[in-house]
Amino acid sequence: MASLLQPDRVLYLVHGEKKIRSSLSTLYFCRYCSELRSLECVSHEVDSHYCPSCLENMPSAEAKLKKNRCANCFDCPCCMHTLSTRATNIPAPLPDDPSKTAMKKAYYLACGFCRWTSRDVGMADKSVASGGWQEPDNPHTQRINKLIEYYQQLAQREKLERDRKKLARRRPYMPLAFSQHTIHVVEKYGLGTRLQRQRPGAPITSLAGLSLKEGEDQKEINIEPAQALDEVEPLPEDYYTRPINLPEVTSLRQRLLQPDFQPAGASQLHPKHKHLLIKRSLRCRKCEHNLMLYYFSVRIMSIPNLRFQKECQVLLTLTNPVESITHVTLVGCEEGDPEDINSTAKVMVPTKELVLAGKDAAADYDELAEPQDFQDDPDVVAFRKSNKIGFFIKVVPQREEDGDVTVSFKIRHDFRNLAAPIRPSEEDDAPTEAIWLTHHVELSLGPLVA
Amino acid sequence: MPLFEGLGSGGEKTAVVIDLGAAYTKCGFAGETGPRFIIPSEIQKPGQQQSIKVVQYNINTEELYSNLKEFIHTLYFRHLLVNPRDRRVLIIESILCPSHFRETLTKVFFKQFEVPSVLFAPSHLMSIMSLGINSGLVMDCGYTETLVLPVYECIPILSAWEALPLGGKAIHKELDGLLVEQCTVDSDSSTGQSLPTVIGSIPEEVVEDIKVRTCFVSDLKRGLKIQEAKFNLEGTAERPTPPPDVDYPLDGEKILHIKGTIRDSVMEMLFEQDNEEKSVATLVLDTLVKCPIDTRKALSENLVIIGGTAMLPGFLHRLLAEIRLLVDKPKYRDALATKSFRLHSPPAKPNCTAWLGGAIFGALQDILGSRSVSRDYYNQTGRIPDWCCLSSPLPESVYDAGKTPPPLMKRAFSTEK
Repeated sequence: MASLLQPDRVLYLVHGEKKIRSSLSTLYFCRYCSELRSLECVSHEVDSHYCPSCLENMPSAEAKLKKNRCANCFDCPCCMHTLSTRATNIPAPLPDDPSKTAMKKAYYLACGFCRWTSRDVGMADKSVASGGWQEPDNPHTQRINKLIEYYQQLAQREKLERDRKKLARRRPYMPLAFSQHTIHVVEKYGLGTRLQRQRPGAPITSLAGLSLKEGEDQKEINIEPAQALDEVEPLPEDYYTRPINLPEVTSLRQRLLQPDFQPAGASQLHPKHKHLLIKRSLRCRKCEHNLMLYYFSVRIMSIPNLRFQKECQVLLTLTNPVESITHVTLVGCEEGDPEDINSTAKVMVPTKELVLAGKDAAADYDELAEPQDFQDDPDVVAFRKSNKIGFFIKVVPQREEDGDVTVSFKIRHDFRNLAAPIRPSEEDDAPTEAIWLTHHVELSLGPLVA
Repeated sequence: MPLFEGLGSGGEKTAVVIDLGAAYTKCGFAGETGPRFIIPSEIQKPGQQQSIKVVQYNINTEELYSNLKEFIHTLYFRHLLVNPRDRRVLIIESILCPSHFRETLTKVFFKQFEVPSVLFAPSHLMSIMSLGINSGLVMDCGYTETLVLPVYECIPILSAWEALPLGGKAIHKELDGLLVEQCTVDSDSSTGQSLPTVIGSIPEEVVEDIKVRTCFVSDLKRGLKIQEAKFNLEGTAERPTPPPDVDYPLDGEKILHIKGTIRDSVMEMLFEQDNEEKSVATLVLDTLVKCPIDTRKALSENLVIIGGTAMLPGFLHRLLAEIRLLVDKPKYRDALATKSFRLHSPPAKPNCTAWLGGAIFGALQDILGSRSVSRDYYNQTGRIPDWCCLSSPLPESVYDAGKTPPPLMKRAFSTEK
């Protein structure tokens, strides 16, 4: 198993497009293909959106509308920390009256990290705690929308022309003069016939539709092309002599957080709504099903001092996370095994089959339960505790190198696919069939001790 | 249309528009007025501290593939937050992008993320779309280079391109050199130390920040005087008074004293004409000379400047003044009859203009659909069409009349009316 500090002691081999060796915590298992998958050979999909500061789950439609930003939380434009709303009391201009509160609450945004406040950019205090702050609009929005409409119109025209060309192309032997007249002939081929079948009697073809539409379309959107300027504003005269107040000038990173404005002065930095994060769902590329985390794990328990060419025993543990009994066999790698490229030591694994008890959630609490009786060979099995088993393997380091001693072997165990659909035609209540899976495991046991 | 998006009235989902620049990537959705994010084109590997640039043309395919895969993964799942499989992709690219990079990028999109279709759009052409004009001389002042390409009646005049490696990268290098040479650092233990003794070398992000916050481009008169003073070996030319020094804090305790002379002189390298007499301003005039005579007037009166380096304070004013000065020089005086130069101001910042053009184009869903390279086509042929590729597209007889027409690759660069 991988732990935070020793991530890559036990590696599993994944047969994907590339052979990847990685630790179990980064691997997934496809129940339907019965294979291990790593992050590289799965396709990622966006599952749900949530805000990192208020942890509110947002439905996808709302996230799309709000441009993937939280409605309530803001980011400080200076240091990108989350802003908090603070309240002050502003005295209201009422005469002192003990029965009425003369103080009005006003809210402003402040950053706890860099002490930026919304008052620095001139945003007025709001009287509601949330929902009062608006982001400024891009001044060019109207012009851009007009441009898009104009180009949509051109695109429409191009599409119509293309359709017309497409229909006309099909009958190259027809003289061009007839192409407008032979609308009835068009009816016999292609689109015309289908349309006619759908709406008998109505004037059909797209050609006729084209000419009508173009004549009707009086309200064309014309935009004025942009005007080029003769002169550009020069730098102000005092630019060369004025000393810079460096905190007042925004850094590039702060500017790029607001792509529409990119202000140079810190007094124009407005806060932005906080960007959402997503939860990803992973799909197996071959069978398009969702994946689950792989659970069967080998763990290194204790390692004695490893000496060159001296045999030593390493204690490993195996944990069985399912509730049924699992049988495990270990097989050493043969000579010339193409997957066995990293091992620097010979390993002797126990040849007998190891049996692991199922996980019993109540085992800790149930003192009266009888321990299950397994015939354990004390040379092989060190201990057995509910669904865990500890066993020995013998390691003989072969190479006197500076690197870690690595051993590899294959684990073979049975797996019951509980999620597979139960065939309704079966009469006898046979449990789901067990599939035997084989995985290639590599253990990194640490450096040699001289 | 933005109004109907929220109601979910069906139809295709908006396309994703990505402008993958050498320094920064602008990403967002078609039909919007600005990119959602402008992020550096870098990835962070878990072990290393130094981030890796994604846009590199010299590394081998496998490394490039894995870098691009990781970068596009963060683009989709950290910034855009959409499923790659649902939306078409419009990539704004430079026409000088090597085919190998393009093909690897396409492979990442189709094989790894399984997008429905991909379209590569040239950045210069897209900038014209953001203005609503048909012709213009577009100059892209970016990170690696400054590239000029004229576009006449929506068709790029490919033979008239001009480029110089004077961009953000060159400015950073020059600025770094000047800082190391001339500036001192105060740390808490000592004052007035030279830079290399206190910190080994300044990271490029810091140099970039110094450039953005303290440097500017002087106007023509002042700039010429600075250049004269620099190259004048006898020391007779007088340098105009430098702007005040700046104290720039470096990570906490150290303060870098930036000399005023650096602040205005580092940008002169863009306009100094080196031995070949080329500068950013001569690019425009050289391009005009290469263009057909009839087009020159329309092009010179429609200059469009895009790119991040063009956002330096004072750059546009100086550029226009330099062009006007140079056009009277004997080299150009006889070649060019047109003397009037006009500058456009697009409805977006210069670093987002090409992206905006792409977003406007991407909002035309049918056109985008008909001109894109679909996943089926890519799976069949295994390649993406390129403007410099000599193998002609598949003949139309391969597809039966009546089925969908083949992608109109021939017209991939022009927007016909």
